[in-house]
Amino acid sequence: MDATLLDASLLTQMLIGALLGLSVYLPLRCGQLSLATPGFYAIGGTLAALLSTRMSGLGGSDPTYPIGSVLLEMALAALLCGTLAAGIGKLVLRLRGVYLAIATIALVEILRVSTLNQEALGGAVGIFGIPQPFDEPAGYAVFTLLLLVVVCWLCERLERNRLGRAMAAIRDDELAAACQGINTERTKLVAFVLSAVVAGLVGVISAHFLNSWNARLGNFDASITTLAFVVFGGSRTWAGPVLGGLVLTALPEVLRPIGDLRLIVFGLVILIGPLLLPQGLISPSLLMWVKARLPRSNRTMQTHGGQL
Amino acid sequence: MNTPLLETRRLGVRFGGLQALEAIDLQINSGEIFGLLGPNGAGKTTLFNLISGVTPASDGTVLWRGGSISGLDASSISRLGIARTFQNLRLFASMNCRDNVLVGLHRQARIPWPAALLGTGLARRRQHELQARAQELLELFEIGHLAEQNAAGLSYGDRRRLEMARALANEPALLLLDEPAAGMNPCEKDQLRELIRRIRDQCNLTILIIEHHVPLMLGLCDRLAVLNFGRRIALGSPEAVRQNPAVIEAYLGGAS
Repeated sequence: MDATLLDASLLTQMLIGALLGLSVYLPLRCGQLSLATPGFYAIGGTLAALLSTRMSGLGGSDPTYPIGSVLLEMALAALLCGTLAAGIGKLVLRLRGVYLAIATIALVEILRVSTLNQEALGGAVGIFGIPQPFDEPAGYAVFTLLLLVVVCWLCERLERNRLGRAMAAIRDDELAAACQGINTERTKLVAFVLSAVVAGLVGVISAHFLNSWNARLGNFDASITTLAFVVFGGSRTWAGPVLGGLVLTALPEVLRPIGDLRLIVFGLVILIGPLLLPQGLISPSLLMWVKARLPRSNRTMQTHGGQL
Repeated sequence: MNTPLLETRRLGVRFGGLQALEAIDLQINSGEIFGLLGPNGAGKTTLFNLISGVTPASDGTVLWRGGSISGLDASSISRLGIARTFQNLRLFASMNCRDNVLVGLHRQARIPWPAALLGTGLARRRQHELQARAQELLELFEIGHLAEQNAAGLSYGDRRRLEMARALANEPALLLLDEPAAGMNPCEKDQLRELIRRIRDQCNLTILIIEHHVPLMLGLCDRLAVLNFGRRIALGSPEAVRQNPAVIEAYLGGAS
């Protein structure tokens, strides 16, 4: 394989894909099919593009854009996306299943069309010359990797504690979950807000990484692509969407040598993946297989073996 | 006079043109095992749904320790101390038995979120306590050895036991059991009767139970109410209910 196939730029894109996959995964973990991720991604990106190109104070004296300003943009994006998601979530999370998906697609479209028609937000042309905090793509890769590690760690903690269990319970049976005293409305809202915050943070990184930003970056296609990450990777644990995001972002690039055929191969992978592995690459049975081989679980199984 | 733990006053619900329950008056006293009998479609499960906030009532009120709880949602009612099982079994199918009970322990599992996030010593200790409590509850229902098994793979009777363990994990004051003996053989039904008595005594419970198995109900319950076509047709001790002509007519069937 050619060394250029897996360069730092592609790696950054893959990591961004993994993060967007996690953003779709969070509501899905409590059974909420939300496709709002690209909308909040676009909000984060637009915010970063505006702040870094219009606010000269953020730039500092160096030619490279200060990393502190990127972090400030991320904080603002998180706050903005989180607040918006809390407000919107209160309304749309009353919907279930495919109706929630449709409402969130509408949200993404509303954001896209408003940005497109708002000169101040870049309009149809977009915003160019977004300053670079890193001289090399490798800087973005490391920075994005750090964010991915933090978000994965958060998800891991979440899945192991009370909130994560409550989310899984809602996914399995919302009514039964409510009867265990779980505040289902609030739990779903927390997941939706976390999802929006992650998407907003990724948007900020993307804006700098891509150097320009326009309304087309958060559209319906992106909704479906990010959903594919989760469907392909699996939605049982955070590792699924991460793997899905990495693989499906890399695939079209890795297949570039075979020319236009790659689109067909990509399509086939998306089609055949769910057919062969309906629960994704990281499926429940795979998790059980792994768990049974962990030393701790082995012990408990042996002790109970005598009783069986 | 003592306030009943749970009281329904003129409780009713209509689904379109169907009056599923009409003017149900019941008083459940603390510590009682109270049985609900009635033919299929009599409205027993519907009554459970009204009490547990799953279905909103059309008329009447539900009083809990003397205060109205009408209009509260299922999760608020659960937090008051009313737990239930479901006739058609609603377990969390993707989880193992222990996790099902851990979800039942939701209310007791609260720890400060920074501790939960960082997995501090406090969080780990708390987690161990909860796991031990979950195991205890599973053992109580004799399914401790199935803790790691997926809930969806259990036998019917074991699923019923798991659901009871999960409901008991809520630490309720009132437990609503919807046909707990369905899918159990006669021997298991006898064991279940003893078990229900035992948990009532151990956990200071009041139990409201729906069951079709009449001998089990007559032997277990302190008092019984019989529903038919959405109305209460009898109320009283097992002996009185058994000899009530309306009950014999409607439920036990046949003239005597």
